Amino acid sequence: MIAKSARSWVWLLYIALAVYAFITFIPFAWALSASFKSLPEISSGGTNFIPKAFTLDNYKTIFLQEPLFGRWLINSIIIAVTVTLFNLLFNSMAGYALARITFPGKQFLFFLVLAVLVVPGQITLLPKFLILKSLGWLNSYQGLIAPAIVNATFIFMMRQFFLNFPKELEEAAALDGLNRFETFFQVVMPLAKPALAAQTIFIFMGSWNEFLLPLVVMSNPEMFTLPLGLNAFKGQYVTYWNYIMAASMIFTLPALAIYAFFNRYFIQGVTFTGGKG
Amino acid sequence: MLNKTLWNKRSTRETLSGYLFMTPAIVVLGIFLIIPVIFTIVLAFYRVQLLGEISFRFAGFKNFVRMGSDERVWIALQNTVEYVAIVVPIQTILAIVLALILNTQIKGKSWFRVAFFLPTVTSSAVLTLIFMWIYNTNGLLNSFLSFLRLPTYNWLGDPDVALKGIMLMNIWATAPLFMVIYLAALQDIPESLYEAASIDGATPWEKFWCITLPFLKPVTFFVIVMGIIGTFQLFDQSYIFSGGSGGPNNATLTIVLLIYQYAFKNLDMGYALALTLMLALVIMTVTLIQRSLFKEESFD
Amino acid sequence: MKKLLSSLAFSALLLLTTACRSRDQNEGTIEITLSGWQSNPIESQLLEKVIDQFEAKYPNIKVKHEVINSQYMDVIKTRLIGDVAPDVFYLDAFEAPLLMKFEVLEPLNSYIKPEFNISDFEPTLINAFKRNEKIYGIPKDFSTLALFYDQTAFAKADIKQPPKTWNELIQYSKKLTRSEPDGKPNRYGFGITPELPRQQFIIQAFGGKLVDRNNYAAFATPESLKGLQLVIEQYRRDRSSAQPSDVGASSGDDMLGQGRVAMLLSGAWSIPYFKETFPNLKFATAEVPTINGRKGTMAYTVAYVMNRKSTHKEAAWKLIEYLTSEAVMKTSGNQGFALPSRRSVLAELQSDRTSLYAPLIAGAKYATTWQAGETLPTILTNFDNQFVSALIGQQSLKDAMQKAQDTANREIYLSN
Repeated sequence: MIAKSARSWVWLLYIALAVYAFITFIPFAWALSASFKSLPEISSGGTNFIPKAFTLDNYKTIFLQEPLFGRWLINSIIIAVTVTLFNLLFNSMAGYALARITFPGKQFLFFLVLAVLVVPGQITLLPKFLILKSLGWLNSYQGLIAPAIVNATFIFMMRQFFLNFPKELEEAAALDGLNRFETFFQVVMPLAKPALAAQTIFIFMGSWNEFLLPLVVMSNPEMFTLPLGLNAFKGQYVTYWNYIMAASMIFTLPALAIYAFFNRYFIQGVTFTGGKG
Repeated sequence: MLNKTLWNKRSTRETLSGYLFMTPAIVVLGIFLIIPVIFTIVLAFYRVQLLGEISFRFAGFKNFVRMGSDERVWIALQNTVEYVAIVVPIQTILAIVLALILNTQIKGKSWFRVAFFLPTVTSSAVLTLIFMWIYNTNGLLNSFLSFLRLPTYNWLGDPDVALKGIMLMNIWATAPLFMVIYLAALQDIPESLYEAASIDGATPWEKFWCITLPFLKPVTFFVIVMGIIGTFQLFDQSYIFSGGSGGPNNATLTIVLLIYQYAFKNLDMGYALALTLMLALVIMTVTLIQRSLFKEESFD
Repeated sequence: MKKLLSSLAFSALLLLTTACRSRDQNEGTIEITLSGWQSNPIESQLLEKVIDQFEAKYPNIKVKHEVINSQYMDVIKTRLIGDVAPDVFYLDAFEAPLLMKFEVLEPLNSYIKPEFNISDFEPTLINAFKRNEKIYGIPKDFSTLALFYDQTAFAKADIKQPPKTWNELIQYSKKLTRSEPDGKPNRYGFGITPELPRQQFIIQAFGGKLVDRNNYAAFATPESLKGLQLVIEQYRRDRSSAQPSDVGASSGDDMLGQGRVAMLLSGAWSIPYFKETFPNLKFATAEVPTINGRKGTMAYTVAYVMNRKSTHKEAAWKLIEYLTSEAVMKTSGNQGFALPSRRSVLAELQSDRTSLYAPLIAGAKYATTWQAGETLPTILTNFDNQFVSALIGQQSLKDAMQKAQDTANREIYLSN
């Protein structure tokens, strides 16, 4: 009897999961299906997920009619990749120093990092704009990259990570005559891969999906990132939902690839950022 | 030279490398976070004109007084409160339920986890566009509702439901993130507690009430506060949804959108900065409350 | 790992030293930027062609044409305060007072030569870009509103003539509204756009006005309400009009094109759009029906203006001059997205009385230009928000308009 009720419980759970998975997928499926439909089919307002007349024209049109689309893609990639690389390096360096190196003023710097942690990004938007303006960095890659190459949250996370790092390895490195930098790059970093992977996902996704700061920094269409491009695209092709959905799908792929690739580090990363301190 | 004590030399070198390691962080956080914060605090008391001749005029508390009688500030705050009241509880409960289900010994759960997480990794710009397409008057949602013989809505144009549309989307997109946080927390509950409870003859329900839930309390605090802070910073969805206007009839106006409008539409930078300062104070208060509650909880 | 560090450091250096904005490639060739929006891809292609001709005429000037399609004015303002604005850009008359007031536009008086024949431009259009006798913009084109109607729907409802008065329009709308068996209309008589730019002339029809002398909102008067009430009543009581989002359309044009409404007020841009996008639609135009026995319509105009901080002002003027010259206006005017701003060119169009454009041209005589001081954007936002809420019945029109006026005026007062 007990086994039977347990099994029906499991079935219930499966049904619940399946229903939620369905809810998760429907919007994507609907968007994907629209991206392969023609405009007349879209306007007729049917609810068929399989296009009546499957077409790739929407994707072709985007790249042909919107010459900047490729450019936006490249901008987004350049910015997200650069930002991610710098973050991995700089956050780890700062986190390592805060965890392992003894130097005067360290307590103060750590306090500063904690204080900065409390300041939400949106709040610095307007002053950032003014600073970038006075640097002449509006509409330039460095305008979006420079403010984002360090992240207090991940400095904190890396510090926590390095605190638990086995001391013996560094001592051995010191005996081998390696200085701090050599120890850091040759011994410590290679062993920090799980933490770095988690960081990669969060920083890359954050940069890739960011909307507000690019909106004010990148006002020249050539310098748009993809989210801005998508928004402009929507402004231009208001009625052409087939194009808008195709563009959305193209936009989603790279982030999805990164997620799929680093997926197993995700939970780990969430644990790190989940404020366990 | 060589007589300098080894210890001294070493400590200088340590200090030097310590600061070298910290330099990028100090420079970037200094220029793009600490200076901006100072800027905000100072300029919030000025009238700033940036178009044409740049000018700064000390305005005292005028910008702050103006907030009190600015109806749109109240509307934005009201929208935010409504948003918090509806979105935060629903997404938190949804996240707990999903996490509990995925924490059972069920086959294929990692697949479900990957699938559920999809909305969270998708850009808010894309999600907003997809949902606008679904919310279309002749769109999928209305077709579905009318199939169930439920009333249909003009999701994009009716002020009564426009914000609900964004809420729905937000719950859908954020719940999985919090689900993962709960999942991580659930892994930390020592199995021995459950075993001990089983020996004492506890039912699964008792185990849930007396072990699982108390353990999840600190995480729940965290999730709720993150939800509230996220809500206060809502921008992308409202901006794209309403084409930057916060309409229909201010229904989707958020505080950050209001700040953006004052800064770049009305070109009233000083007032926008005063609003920013107000928002910062609200968010930091919430965060600090969370910190203190959170600490107490963890020491239990 | 060391290599990684040094290469990272190198790329950092590279990033910080090389600005990524485009620079002039050759000595002698200058590049100027022209920013505008695009109401239609074809319009953009035409402009590209004209620009090619310009570049052929002035080989040392290269024009970079930029299309900004969403929140155009926000983008332009952001770029103006960021010192990264284009050399020449489109400016709608309604946004002009603010930019003229802050003197971010270059006065063009000294550039205008007698051959340019500035007096050929429709004076009301030029005046929209004038402040203290300084001309800040050369009108590129304009359009008024006219009544567009679906001839097939008219024939089916047995209506021979387009409505001449607003009462007729309301009567016809009832006849033209068609419902499905379940009582839900699938076509409405009249399509409305509940926004101030389309309503200003209705406010004025019974003697109301939008703003007072100091540019404060002044539309919450019984006279103004009388006009607006017509729109509200038709929508709420007759249920014979619809706004785009009611029928899942994204613009008024689409409502008519998709057969969701039978009549619509729209401008010249709709004519080529309908022909292109909805080739099966049989439509005609007529003058806007009279309200209170008075003729009225709106006029919208856009000018080319020059950024005061442009570093290539002479070249920028050459471009403006070329784009607004009689010869170019003649060729681009033929494409029909708008009406030419030069009277000499308009006169040629005027000769054809049967043309779809005739009612639009006729409207130019009595149209209200969409413009009213630098406070208009604030008034616009508040009006639109409250008007929609009155339209869907959340509050009475009187309350809504009073609230819109009070809120707008408080905002205007506080921002001064």
